[in-house]
Amino acid sequence: MSAAPGGSSAGPRLAALERAPRADARERDADYQAVFVGARRAELDELLTRYPTKMAALLPALWIVQDERGWVSEPAMAEVAAMLGLTPAYVKGVVTFYTMYHQHPVGKYFVQVCTTSPCNVCGAEDVARAFLQHTGAPDLGATSPDGRFTVIEVECLGACGFATPVMINDEFLESVSADRVPSIVGALK
Amino acid sequence: MTDRKMVTLTVEGRQVQVPEGTSMLEAAKVAGVLIPHYCYHPGLPVAGVCRMCLVEVEKAPKLAAACATAVADGQVVHVHSDVAREARQGVLEMLLINHPLDCPICDQSGECELQDYTFAEGRKDSRYQEAKRFNPVEDFGGDVLYVPNRCILCTRCVRFMEDVAHDPVLNVSERGDRAVIGKFEGQDLTHPWAGNVVELCPVGALLSKDFLNKARSWDLDRAASICPNCTQGCNSALESRDNVVVRMRPRPNDDVNKFFLCDEGRLNYRWLNRRDRVEFPHVRRADALAPIDWDVAVEAAATALRGRRVFVLASPSLSNEVLFLLSRVIARVGGAGAFRVRHGPEAPLDGVPGLSLRADRAANVQGAGLLGFRNSETPLDGVAAGDALLIVDEELAGVDASALSAAVARAGAVVVIGTTLPPWARDATVVLPIANMAEEEGTFTNVQGRVQRYLQAKAAPGLARPGYAAVGDLLAALGEAAVYFLPADVFRALAVAHPPFAGMTYETLGLRGSVVSTGAGSPAVAAAPT
Repeated sequence: MSAAPGGSSAGPRLAALERAPRADARERDADYQAVFVGARRAELDELLTRYPTKMAALLPALWIVQDERGWVSEPAMAEVAAMLGLTPAYVKGVVTFYTMYHQHPVGKYFVQVCTTSPCNVCGAEDVARAFLQHTGAPDLGATSPDGRFTVIEVECLGACGFATPVMINDEFLESVSADRVPSIVGALK
Repeated sequence: MTDRKMVTLTVEGRQVQVPEGTSMLEAAKVAGVLIPHYCYHPGLPVAGVCRMCLVEVEKAPKLAAACATAVADGQVVHVHSDVAREARQGVLEMLLINHPLDCPICDQSGECELQDYTFAEGRKDSRYQEAKRFNPVEDFGGDVLYVPNRCILCTRCVRFMEDVAHDPVLNVSERGDRAVIGKFEGQDLTHPWAGNVVELCPVGALLSKDFLNKARSWDLDRAASICPNCTQGCNSALESRDNVVVRMRPRPNDDVNKFFLCDEGRLNYRWLNRRDRVEFPHVRRADALAPIDWDVAVEAAATALRGRRVFVLASPSLSNEVLFLLSRVIARVGGAGAFRVRHGPEAPLDGVPGLSLRADRAANVQGAGLLGFRNSETPLDGVAAGDALLIVDEELAGVDASALSAAVARAGAVVVIGTTLPPWARDATVVLPIANMAEEEGTFTNVQGRVQRYLQAKAAPGLARPGYAAVGDLLAALGEAAVYFLPADVFRALAVAHPPFAGMTYETLGLRGSVVSTGAGSPAVAAAPT
């Protein structure tokens, strides 16, 4: 294993990764393919009927982008801004405010391990370390070389009674221990 | 305003009456009390994000943000009570957690509200032991540099771009302790008024690239001035160091420019520092211009004008005073006067009706028109054979060379009164050196017909004298009895001679100006060029 997570330095290290998108995370306008075409466009149009203003549909519109592309690039922010009559700067402000929108590409499986106090006491850091080891992701926030896994630690997932909870994409797993990790990862491979 | 119900309240023991709906912060200003604040700015919508303006209100359960709380009758407000002071001290301590405290190398130092309020009521030391957040300096485009470490996230810049410039390219990116002012990649602060965010920034986070590392604010001499770069007549302050103008900033005037100045105006001050100035009077001796003292040169100029019709080609950026005296020269010896205006694209500031970088890029087009000068694209056509051609502070840049030499050849004599000596001026009979607008006192009449004073910011080079003194001496040599010691004397005579200016004096103009009358009650409008 290249870099062990855990310890007090994991938090700031992750923050640094999120703040500065890596070079491969840049998408050029010239290469950009619009998200809101065909079925996705219809999805957005239906969405807009449910909100009083276009601006109010910003968060779900961004979810459509992330669902389609796996992350929200700057050209995608510009597209959303154009669709909703907002400015790209405003959309970027919203995207960067919420940590659940990815500003750089992530693996096909996005693994979130809760390491807040109760889970930490129950061995959450071992769980996170095990996920890194078995997925091949080099570090928290980084993606495995095969592009399949990104592992991050998150603050409370709201299941303190079932430590350690782990979210893999939209799936919620409770009471995960380090020794359960190989079978979980194996099932995904 | 007069219809609004008045509310009486007490601020720091002083009773004031303000219209209903006024904020506590503005009411305190009326009482002569400054409530410390960062995010509040009278030219921007209220945000209430900095929490610096917390004040104690008697009988209220908790502290109130003075910028966002309207006054109520009988309110008793304490700004400097222990509770309010402690709250603001807490705010300051939080703001300083990630602030680098690099005042010794910060351009804002000396005019920084964070520095001022920390000095006034902040803690003496810091309890923060951890590492400070760091973000690199970012070029925001235009004239603006962003230093995020110094930023206190008051969002004045974001609100200016959104609500006043109507070009919302700035945002608050990220959140919590990672929050910074951001912009979208590829969208820069290129709006023609974007430079105002530098002035609005209460700390050293948004800096002018033009002024970067140029001077310490406490070394600057400041003079109230008028931006001479277009007919809008924005009120400005010329700031100089060692007789060199290093910066021009907006000076508030509600009737003209609110708090703002456009980038083109703000950055176009270097010509006031030109080194290629005429420093001595010159008269023609044989084939060349020779430097000589003022008395001889003025007499030579008067001789050139006497017995001839005079054609005055004046700069539309001359003061009302100089233009008036030139009109007196025309009246004495007979003749006509004209001026030419340089044009540029117009750039309005959308959020402030009536405020715009005007197409006419000269300070006093209106005044020149009111004082009898004709606005012409080809003013030299008016020069008749044998005329004395009197060219005043006009370099004739871009004028067709053949038209210029034809006019000079037609003229019986060429007298130049100016700040520089362009190549064509070497054929002049007499040259009188004058001060530029930063080196003299005077008035301009702006596009609204508002007459506004500007004051001297630096000394003129060599023997150059203010324009009114040079033309005044010329008039005396031509036999005019009136003596003008000061620009105020000239202006008084102008106000008597020209009804639109009737009743105005330097005292009544003050530093806000007053609008000329046309008899019909509406401000005069300059005639279009013919």
